[in-house]
Order: sequence, then structure tokens, then C-alpha cells
Amino acid sequence: MPDEPKMPIPELGDAVVESGGSTLYQCMQCGLCVTSCPWRLVEGEISEEFNTRKLQHMGQLGVEGYESDNILYACTTCGICKIRCPREVNPIENIRALRSMLVGEGSVPNAYKPVIGSLSSNGNPWQGDPKTRTDWAKDLDVPEFTEETEYLLFVCCTSCYDARSKKIARAIASILKKGGVSFGIIGNEEKCCGESVRKLGGEETFQELAGHNIELFKSKGVKKIITTSPHCLYTFRYEYPELDGEFEVMHYTQMIEKLIEEGKIKPANDLNKKVIFHDPCYLGRHNEIYTTPRNVLDAIPSLEREEMDRFGKDSICCQGGGGRIWMETNPGERFGDLRINDAVAKSANVVATACPYCTIMLDASNMSVGKEDLEILDIAELIDQSL
Amino acid sequence: MAEKIGCFLCSGCGIGEKFEMDDVVEAAEELGVSLVETHETLCSKAGLELIQGKIDSDGLDAVVIGACSGRDKTALFQFPNVFVERSNLREGVAWTHDKDDEDDDDEVATQELANDVIRMSIAKAKSAKLPKPQTNEMTDRIVVIGGGPTGISAALSAAEAGKEVVLVEKEDKLGGFANKLFKVFPRDYDIAAYEKIDLDGMIAKIEANDKITVHLSAEIGRIVGAPGKFDVTINKGSDKIEVKADSFVLAAGWKPYDATKLSHLGYGKPNVITNIEFEQMAKEGKISGDLESVVFVQCAGSRDDDHLPYCSNVCCGASLKHVTYLKEMNPEIATYVIYKDIRAPGHYEEVYKKVQKLGTLFVKGEVQDVDEGDEGKLNVMATDALLGEDLFIEADLVVLATGLVPTTLDAELLHLEYRQGPELPQRDYGFPNSHFICFPYETQRTGIYAAGAVRMPMDIAQAIDDGAGAAAKAVQVSELVREGKATHPRVGDFSLPDINFKRCTSCKRCTEECPFGALDEDEKGTPLPNPTRCRRCGTCMGACPERVITFENYSVPMIGNMIKAMEVPDEFEERPRVLVLACENDAIAALDMAAHNGLKLNPYFRVIPLRCLGSMNLVWIADALAKGIDGIMLMGCKFGDDYQCHFVKGSELANVRMTKVQETLDRLMLESERIRFEQIGINDYDKIPAMWEDFAEKLEELGPNPYKE
Repeated sequence: MPDEPKMPIPELGDAVVESGGSTLYQCMQCGLCVTSCPWRLVEGEISEEFNTRKLQHMGQLGVEGYESDNILYACTTCGICKIRCPREVNPIENIRALRSMLVGEGSVPNAYKPVIGSLSSNGNPWQGDPKTRTDWAKDLDVPEFTEETEYLLFVCCTSCYDARSKKIARAIASILKKGGVSFGIIGNEEKCCGESVRKLGGEETFQELAGHNIELFKSKGVKKIITTSPHCLYTFRYEYPELDGEFEVMHYTQMIEKLIEEGKIKPANDLNKKVIFHDPCYLGRHNEIYTTPRNVLDAIPSLEREEMDRFGKDSICCQGGGGRIWMETNPGERFGDLRINDAVAKSANVVATACPYCTIMLDASNMSVGKEDLEILDIAELIDQSL
Repeated sequence: MAEKIGCFLCSGCGIGEKFEMDDVVEAAEELGVSLVETHETLCSKAGLELIQGKIDSDGLDAVVIGACSGRDKTALFQFPNVFVERSNLREGVAWTHDKDDEDDDDEVATQELANDVIRMSIAKAKSAKLPKPQTNEMTDRIVVIGGGPTGISAALSAAEAGKEVVLVEKEDKLGGFANKLFKVFPRDYDIAAYEKIDLDGMIAKIEANDKITVHLSAEIGRIVGAPGKFDVTINKGSDKIEVKADSFVLAAGWKPYDATKLSHLGYGKPNVITNIEFEQMAKEGKISGDLESVVFVQCAGSRDDDHLPYCSNVCCGASLKHVTYLKEMNPEIATYVIYKDIRAPGHYEEVYKKVQKLGTLFVKGEVQDVDEGDEGKLNVMATDALLGEDLFIEADLVVLATGLVPTTLDAELLHLEYRQGPELPQRDYGFPNSHFICFPYETQRTGIYAAGAVRMPMDIAQAIDDGAGAAAKAVQVSELVREGKATHPRVGDFSLPDINFKRCTSCKRCTEECPFGALDEDEKGTPLPNPTRCRRCGTCMGACPERVITFENYSVPMIGNMIKAMEVPDEFEERPRVLVLACENDAIAALDMAAHNGLKLNPYFRVIPLRCLGSMNLVWIADALAKGIDGIMLMGCKFGDDYQCHFVKGSELANVRMTKVQETLDRLMLESERIRFEQIGINDYDKIPAMWEDFAEKLEELGPNPYKE
């Protein structure tokens, strides 16, 4: 016998259920989640240690040993296990509940301490000064949201503070303007949507952020929201209503599709590029938007569109979700490498995506395993170039 | 023996394209048939009318129909009062052989095959007689043994079919094991709650039915006779009740596996109980809601080679039920289910899901030790396959989910006065099946049909259906035997074995080998036939060294004449001949399947269908070899534990007989490789071409049979 036998503490499982892991006990231990998990596609420490089914079983039994960064915090919440589970188990929620119990006790992985701290003090996870939240819009003449404005453009914190990502926000604003959309931004009073911090277990932080935003949106008279990130889309759509924040929410790709359909914008400039689309988990599996981004890309003249080996529902995560964007992953275990390798194998010039996290993760992988002539671009950037 | 034989040859379905029909006509005429007719489509209205017309005008007593396989168009080629032989020119010749105009050898070989096929069929018809039905007076009474849900269901079904029913129950009330249950599995798709089984309602129906007589506290004392003429003695205390009956439904149920053999799982220690004990405690209200932790051990003595190797079907469901008893009393009770696999088929899956959601902890693993701990607790050590570690659980109660054992196992239930013993043969862990896959309910004793948990592990809902199924078989045997017909699998066959007692040496081979115990014997060992027990497999005929057992339409000389009818070319022509004796249940069907799938077969093989390889008599082997046939292949069903033989052990017996064929070979100074035994299932049809080719190559190596003329 390698170790002392473990003693189950069934009360812990019940506590997980109460913390939101309502499907914890539904698992019939088939293991489909384990084989579906993208960690199986890479080799390394985390891949060896992290096992979705085992983690949930430990949660059920209340036995210890799952609390390490490599186990409890490995899940990127990509959702492939969730949509494949034959028992309708939602491992993401179960893992989130387990994390929230630890974070609630003050046990936070080191990597997340500055993130949670910055969210509390700055309202964003990137140590950004709240006063510079709208700096991305400089010289663009982006209107401010007023009671007459139809849509609030909610820009992801990442695109507010990350230099590369700011370009995406600018492209989106530019397209909306060209399409004559009635939109505006609120600006520095906004705080992070809270999606990722909730996934990494920061339930209290999430509640504060969401509460603030809901109150702010209501006070400004917001009814409809366009998000730049599918993560914001997810939390506005599925989590804010529980907190009495009901808004009509859409992803910017949906707005672009609408503008093209209505003839309000017409991509006319040839791009002459072979573009491969990477489905962001939160746009695809979590919000079930698969055809929209493809329709938008197909509207660009002389753009040759290619699919990855795994796309749509089977798309592989970039590894940026569930708080992993703030965790270090050793080379060799980076999911982004798999996507870049696929794109290179198919001789693509551009990997197009529609999520700020995906852009960051894929850019990083492109720098290490990619090719010089391969670009990572947001769909908005491609459209804006074509207009 | 048929004297006026009409031969009808069909050229449809491509038959006429592969050989010269005129040659076949000539071959038939040489054998002295009364007439030979050819037709483009014999199965058409005109074709069938042609045959019936000739039967009527020429007074034929047998017809040989050279067309498709006898397994096809069986309903069309029915002609009353004449012997009908189906000669397989389509699957056996045309569809499995090519006519290559470039290759004279091929063409000759196919033509010779077609000629032989028709010659063999004519030889068969010449040797056959149309059997006359031996009708029987029936009692129209069925005895149902066991008054649980299965027996009740069987009794009601048989009564509804018009039979009188005598229901024998050993306890003092009806209901069987169901009397001991607190609640039963949900039977509707609404699985909201476990139900209490309505035994009273079922029993009331029995009592209200004037066709059903119930004997409580009663057991079978003795069974003598055969279907239609069973004499049954029912012991009721000191009373002996005599009843005549046609058939039986054996619904004697199950008993729990002996938990005293499960001391390694803690049985015998305080608070370690079986699922049956748990159920009874629940019924008596003796389960405490103050329990903190209960461990259920699945497959306790099941799927375990040291105990019961099989799955008992209901134990997973029972434990799921028991968890709900506990959770309904007190949701705080921690419940653990330690399992190998949770088997929850059909709507039990919904029950399983429901129990999961109650917060039950399922642990895939095995219990290693159950020991007494502090303060009356039990210390359970178990492996957890998912954790890859061991678990230590403190429990107030450990429930062993023990399995089901058929009451027929090592029991004295039937007291049959049969030469082959008083009880049903024990196969498959004591479950009395005769052919589990093809013929559910059949036992190895004709007229006795098993149903419910005595047949295989099952729940009450299944058992109730099973009772009705077995009742249908018991009713069917009554109706078939009345007309003198065989039951499964040769349903409707009128023929019966006829024993020439003058030449019988009382060697007991037939009485020992009959798979259905149809033959009893007198003090000297001479067989005493019980025709209504017979299933017409012919195993007795194959067993008899004196060859004194014959059927009117199936006999040793008949097959011998078929072998003799084959033309064997002399050795210089390099055209070998191989005799294939093939079981008609699987091997013949597989050969047809090969034809239907366009497979090509070696043209030197000649197939004779047998009712069962058990009917294979060694004299055929000697006849064939003496005639100069180069090789013999026996194609029979798979035998062994998971046998496929429709008559239980026919192919196995044939295989045993083959070990004795060596003597014959030695006497003839022939190589033993000239004879091959192949086990084949219907789905092995694709293997036949290679199987034959391989044998043909071996025979070529050995060279021609020196006994060729």
C-alpha cells in the first residue's frame, strides 16, 4: 500500500453542491471527460496530474490531495467535457465550486493574488489605472453612451490595457461607426465583467464587480450590450440575470454579420490571404456561436478560408480561460502550440479568432513555434482592413 | 419407400446458366424416376400447378424439386401426402460455382456437381416414406410449479388459453419471494417512487379463476410419463394428490447466495447483513434513521470465480432501492456503493440517476476487509480504482448485495422417473436451460418449461412476462403433441424413431445419449421409447452401433444410399470427391449464406444435410471411404460450455464418435487427415470457402483414396 488509506468526508461533497457544483454527484465515472480534455493532447507535469473525473471524485468523497495548482487550477473551463458528458455533468461548475471554497478560506494560488487584488482596487485584472481604461479609443472619436444611445459597447479589460489587444477594440469601434450603429462607451466607471475571476474561484470578487456593473448599466439606461469578448458575453448572458441584471447582449461578430446582411457595410478590399478560424471556447461551446464568425470571414473578397483539424464543437482551447491566462504553463504543455502547428500545416497566413484571450495565447505560441509569415488577427481587424 | 418419384427441375434464378440442364435430366432419368419436368420458374403459380398436376395425374408418392435451397420458399413447396425433397441446385450449385467456358475442367466439375446433387436427392426420396402422424389424447392440463409472480402469471396465461391449471406452491400462501419484499422496483416509466407489489390483486385473480386449482404447502412427489401423459404426484403433508398433465411450467424461483461463504466481506460480524436481510428489516421497520454511514457492497459473491461467476441482474437495482429507503428516512445518512460496474439497464438508468443525485457516493473498487471498529462501528477498507488509492470508511451498517441462485441447483424438485435422472440436467450454473439463445424456456426435458428467476436472474417485471412466455410453450407442446408433431426445433415433424428390438443388443448407447431423456430402459437395458418426449434429432440413430433405429423419412440406409448415389471418378482423372455431412441448423444455413453473398466454393464437395451431427452414424464414414471418396468433412455446431447445438450436445457426441473412427481408418489403412471436424456458426459463412480449400489442399497432398474403383 503506497499511502495511508484516505478517509472520506461526505460533508465536503455536499458543500460543493451548495457552492454551485450541483451536478457533482451525477458522474457515473465513465471517463469521457478525461479523454476529451485538451490536457491529454500535451505532455508534461499538469497533463500527468490533472484528471477531471478523479478531481470530481475527490470532491464527492471529500478526500484531500486535489488542492494544488496543477490539479485544481489546471482546468481552462473550455467546456468540451461539459458538452460531451453523457450524464449532463457540468465539470466546470463543480471545479469552480471547489475552487471557490478554497479561495473563500483565503487559500489563493500565488499567481492569482495580484489579479484579485487589482480587480478589487482597479476594477480590472491587469493592474491598469482605471483612469486610462478608455485610452484605447484615443483619436477615434468614440461616442460616449447616453440615454439616446442604442448599444453599449463593453470593451474587455484586456482590450483596454493590453497594447496588442487595444487594436481589436479600435477595429470594432471603427466598424460600428462605419456601419452607422448607435453605440457608445461608458468609460472609466466600468469594471471587469468578472467572468474569469469567478471561474478561478473568486466568488466574492465576482459578486462585487457584477453588482457594480449592473447598477452602473441600469443608472445609465443600458438595454443592449455589444461585447468585444465572448467571456463578457457569457457572463452577461448567463450569470448577470441571476443578479437581476437583464440585458440584451450580443457579440460584436453578430453585429458585423447583421451590418453585412443589411448592406450597411460591405467588405470590398481584397485581402488575398488564407485564413484559418480558431473557435474560441466561449464563443463556440459556451455561447453556441459557430456560423457567425465564418459568415463574416466569408464576406471578405478573395479570402480563402480553411478549417483546423478540430473546429466548431471540437475546437481545442487556447488555454486562456478559467484563469489560466494568469498562470504560467511550461513550454510543451501549451495548447496554443497545437493550434499554431495546425495552422502552419495547412499553410495559413492568418489565424483569425474573436476573443482577446485567444489572441494573446495564440500570439505567444506563434512566437515560439509559429512562422514569421503567420499572423494572429481578430476578425474585426480583418473586416476593418477590408472596408 | 417411395415408388413413383417425380423430378422437377427449375432453371430460374440463374440456375440454368451454370450447367446443362439436359445432362441433369439424363442423370435423373438414369435413376429410374417416373418423370422429369423442367420449368423456368417452379415457384410461380404455373410451376406449382405443374407439380400438383403431375402428382394428381401420375399418382406420385414423392417429388424431388431441383431448385433453391430447402430453407427458402418453404411455404410454397408444400404438397400434401407426398414426400417432398428439395434438391439444392441454386445455392448448392449455381450460385456458388462458375461456369467458365474457357476452362473445361471447371465446366465439367460444375456439371458433375449438379448431376450428383440431383442423384443424391433421388436416392433420398427413394429411401423415404411419408411419416404417418401418431396422434395423442391430451389431458389439457398444465402443472405450474411455484406460486410466485412468475407462476401466478403462467397459471393465468395458461388458463386464459383454455387449459386447466394445477398450481403447486411449497409455502402456505401464494406470492413466493415477493412476499418478503418491502417495495419492488418501479415498473412504469414514471419512476417517482418504488411501489408495493399488488400480490393480493394477483392472488385474487387466481382464486377467481375456476380453471386454476391451487395446492399450498405442497411439493411435487413424483413425475412419471411424457408430454400429454404425465402422471404427477403432489405431496401435501401426508396427502398424495394424483394429477394427469400435458406439460409443466417450472417457476420455482431463486434463493439468495449463501452469505456464510462471504466471511471475507465481513458476513458473520455484527451489522454486516445481506440485501435480503436489509429488505426484510425495511419491511419490518427495523432500519434506523439514526444511522450515520452505510456501505453497500455490490457483486458480493457475484461475478467472482470463487463464488457465482455470473451477474445476478437485480442486485444493483436492489442496492439503489435500498439507498432510497435510507435517504427517504434521513437524507443525512452517508451512503456508499462500492461496485464493479453499476448495471442499470432500461429505465433502471433513471433510478440510478435519481440515486446519484441524492448524494450517494459510488466507489468503483473492491472491498478488501470489513472489521469491527470502535463503538460498534465497522471499519471498511476498499480500493478505489479511480483514486488509485485505498479508502477507509467507518460504517454503521454494511449491506452485501448477494446474488441469485436457481432453486434447481443441487435440489430435489421434480422427482422425475426418467432413466437419465430425477432432476433437470445441470448446465450453466444450475439454470435449467437447453438452448439459451435460440429457445428460451426450453429445458432438456420436453414438456417442462422454465420461467422466471429459475431460468435466469431477473426482476419481478421480467418474471411476470417470463411466466406468460413459458405458459405459451406449455400450451404449444400440448397442441403439437395432440397432432403427433414435434416441438422445437423441428416443429411439426411427424416422424418418430422406430427401434427394431429383435436386433437391439441393449447396449444403452441410445438411452444414455438422448439429449432429452426421451428413452427410458427396462431392467435389461432395452430402450423404452416415450415418443412424445422425442425432438427428432436422431441422436439415438447416430448412437446405435447395430443401426436398428430409423425414422421413416431419415435413416442410416437413406444417407448411405445418398453417398452411394454420388459418382466417384477413377483416380486418374484428378477430380477428388469430398463428402460433407452438415448440420441443417447452422452449417447448411451458413452454406446458403455463403451462396447469397456470392462466395465461390470448391466443386468437388458433396453436401448431405443432417438433422443434427448427433445423428451421424460411423457406418457412413466407412461406406464413403470404401467407395473411394477422398475426404470427409463434418460441419457441426460449436460445442462446449457455450454450445450452439440446437439439440444440446449433438456435435459434441459426433466429435466423440470421431475419436473412434480411427479403427475404421486403420482397418482400411487410410490416413486420419482424410476426416475433418469443423465447428461452424451461421455467421461463419465467410470462412467456408477457405475451410474447404484448405481441406482440398490437404487431400491433394495425401493423394487419391486407394479404394477408388
